[in-house]
Amino acid sequence: MIETITSPLRAIWESLLERLFFLPPFPETIDSLALFSLLLVVGLLLGEWLHAHARWPKVTGYVLAGTVFGPSALGWISIEALAQARPIADAALGLLMMEVGRRLDLSWLRRNPELLRSTLADITLSFALIFLFALWLVGLTPAWAAATAAVTMASAPAVVLLTIEEAKAQGQVTERIILHTAISSAASFVAFAVVLGIVHAELSEDWLNALVHPLWVVIGAFLVGGMGTWLALRIAKTLPKGSLAQVFVLIACALLAVGIARMLAVPVFLTLFLMGVLLASRDQQQTLRYTALPEGHWLLAIVLFVIVGASLPWQDFTWLAGVQALGLLLVRAAAKAGAMAWSGGSMPWPKRLLVGMGIQPLSATAVFMAYEIASLYPEVGRSALTLPLFAAAMMELVGPALCRLALHRSGECESGERNQGGIA
Amino acid sequence: MTTKALGEFKDSAAFSLGVELELQLVSKRDFDLTRGATDLLGSLDYDERFGEIKLEITESMIEISTQPQATVDGIATDLGGLRDTLRQHCERNNIGVCGGGTHPFHHWPERRICPGDRFNDLYQRYGYLSKQFTVFGQHVHVGCTSADEAIWLTQALGVHVPAFIALSASSPFVDGVDSFYQSARLNAVSAFPLSGQCPPLGSWQEFTEHFAFLQACGIAQGIKDLYWDVRPKPEFGTVEIRVCDTPLTIEQATSLAALAQSLARWLLRTRPPLHTAKQAHVARYNKFQACRYGLEAMISDPVNLSQTPLKQTLADLLEAVSEDARELDCAHWLSPLKQAVAENTGDAAWLRAREKQHGNLNDVVREASERLMGKDN
Repeated sequence: MIETITSPLRAIWESLLERLFFLPPFPETIDSLALFSLLLVVGLLLGEWLHAHARWPKVTGYVLAGTVFGPSALGWISIEALAQARPIADAALGLLMMEVGRRLDLSWLRRNPELLRSTLADITLSFALIFLFALWLVGLTPAWAAATAAVTMASAPAVVLLTIEEAKAQGQVTERIILHTAISSAASFVAFAVVLGIVHAELSEDWLNALVHPLWVVIGAFLVGGMGTWLALRIAKTLPKGSLAQVFVLIACALLAVGIARMLAVPVFLTLFLMGVLLASRDQQQTLRYTALPEGHWLLAIVLFVIVGASLPWQDFTWLAGVQALGLLLVRAAAKAGAMAWSGGSMPWPKRLLVGMGIQPLSATAVFMAYEIASLYPEVGRSALTLPLFAAAMMELVGPALCRLALHRSGECESGERNQGGIA
Repeated sequence: MTTKALGEFKDSAAFSLGVELELQLVSKRDFDLTRGATDLLGSLDYDERFGEIKLEITESMIEISTQPQATVDGIATDLGGLRDTLRQHCERNNIGVCGGGTHPFHHWPERRICPGDRFNDLYQRYGYLSKQFTVFGQHVHVGCTSADEAIWLTQALGVHVPAFIALSASSPFVDGVDSFYQSARLNAVSAFPLSGQCPPLGSWQEFTEHFAFLQACGIAQGIKDLYWDVRPKPEFGTVEIRVCDTPLTIEQATSLAALAQSLARWLLRTRPPLHTAKQAHVARYNKFQACRYGLEAMISDPVNLSQTPLKQTLADLLEAVSEDARELDCAHWLSPLKQAVAENTGDAAWLRAREKQHGNLNDVVREASERLMGKDN
């Protein structure tokens, strides 16, 4: 379709080129900066429109924009353009993962055993039920079933954070959604590292890779995240607390960690999540504790979710794959809701179920993890991971709405919520 | 408008005490105010042995109130018990609790009114003032044996309002800036139409007539609409001093209760002449002085036509009530107040010093929260 628009332009350009020697050849691809700007504007407009007219979360609009303009539908965003945009998506996901890591408050688990119970139940039940579903009902091999469970067991930190921020929610349901999301993400990353080894063992029979690759991923992410933490705290200590300069240092160090992680082939989401956790736990002087990401991170988030939307493999969609993905989502939902209901505690069970509903989103991290594993063995990986990718694709659209509904039902959204016409 | 009858004044034991403290609920992440009062109290497992823990107007506030006690030590025990209960429960919910008259940097439009007819009614009536009323005070109830005594004590205590303001002042920061006040909290209270001083009334009869007049004019529905600095509380049989900021420690709150009890006894014992009409002319000025300058205030005397440093007035007052404090067995609780007056220290100064040390207000609230929980810093 894009060819229909560009071919007359190309003809005019080429006729001008004969007379105007300074003109460059007709651009074959859209400049990456121009593409990002387009992504921003289109995603933002769609998100705002859906939010204003249908009360949908803005994130859903961004994903839809990516889906519509991506390779699966109109094809205005090509595979090459997606690859070009990947560093920006990595940066956006990295910053959001760091923020979730910074909010992982393990001391709360120590003070409240019921939370320890519910998080353990969530992690165990989600992994086990998804694994069994993928193994027995879908018929995947144990390694790919484990990979499926590893990437889909966790909630989507980026979606959860942005939905909470959009709704300006505060309260126990909100706080518990964040805690469960952060802990299930951590567990999912551990499972992901283990699964890497299992996949190597099953597919290549190369024990060296099976042992070293998970270690490379975990130790690499830990070292790069640790370096980012050390550098950020070291520099920020010399600056006034809460100043713009500190915000700059935090973001710059995070982006440095993203870059190094990319160079070392260590997952960005894991590296930055660990950096966030280390920042929260190593910051004895509260140097960066109160430094928040600026409003501008919403701009990066738009690019992230447009790219995620464009990366979803809708072109491979079959009804069987759709039904299987739906089954996985139902099993996963049952696991999370069951874990919340079973774990008991001082919070009334309707509110615990709302926490269960709020942690349903499954998206950006799962998509990136799935592609990470799939890229190891492209000949099998892509098809074997269709199940989690479709599950993520469905939840990209439904997850933010479920999270938003849970927050709304809990009564923790800001009162008098209105369309402010802004981004956030 | 539905009006509520004033009811009979329920006599209580002389100089019995009750203390209410409004407390801040803060996020443990950034120490900004957080919404959580309804959930926190909804899951509270507590038998009320030390008093009550209740909702206040916005979701970021709660109020603790002691049982009626004959002694200040009893108040200290109740406040300690309430604090420990609250600490345990807040830790389970990952919420911090803090004293202080204002939250130094919260953004008042983010506050949310608690569910309930009364709170909703207040929000409908006062609009944004209700959210700006997210300020935190200490109320001290002193028991009276008769209604007329309560009205006399209300008038007599009115003269000493600046003393209570200055000794409790703990709200120097508002909207993230130093207000230059020692107690900026009372500026939020004074926006309400029925705030200020009790008018010059000589007896319970005059008070009931005045209240009926306010009701007939449609100004007040019930006694809770009177946001006076000192007001009678017929259903408790007490006079309620309402001008104190919530101190940063329960020990300071207990000392203020000790001052209220000793002062009430001294006033009723010595019955100094009241010049209520003249005092009414200077009351607002004196209150401003105490809010703005704290212990450094200059207090206007409408009888001797002079000004006196509040520090001197307070030192004399603390000396004057010493004997009554000994009789009531609470003299040891007045020592910290004497020390604060002598050394010109207080919670507002502590907050400013911490801000200067840290260079930010998040750390100030974190340390204030630890201070309320009894951790020295």
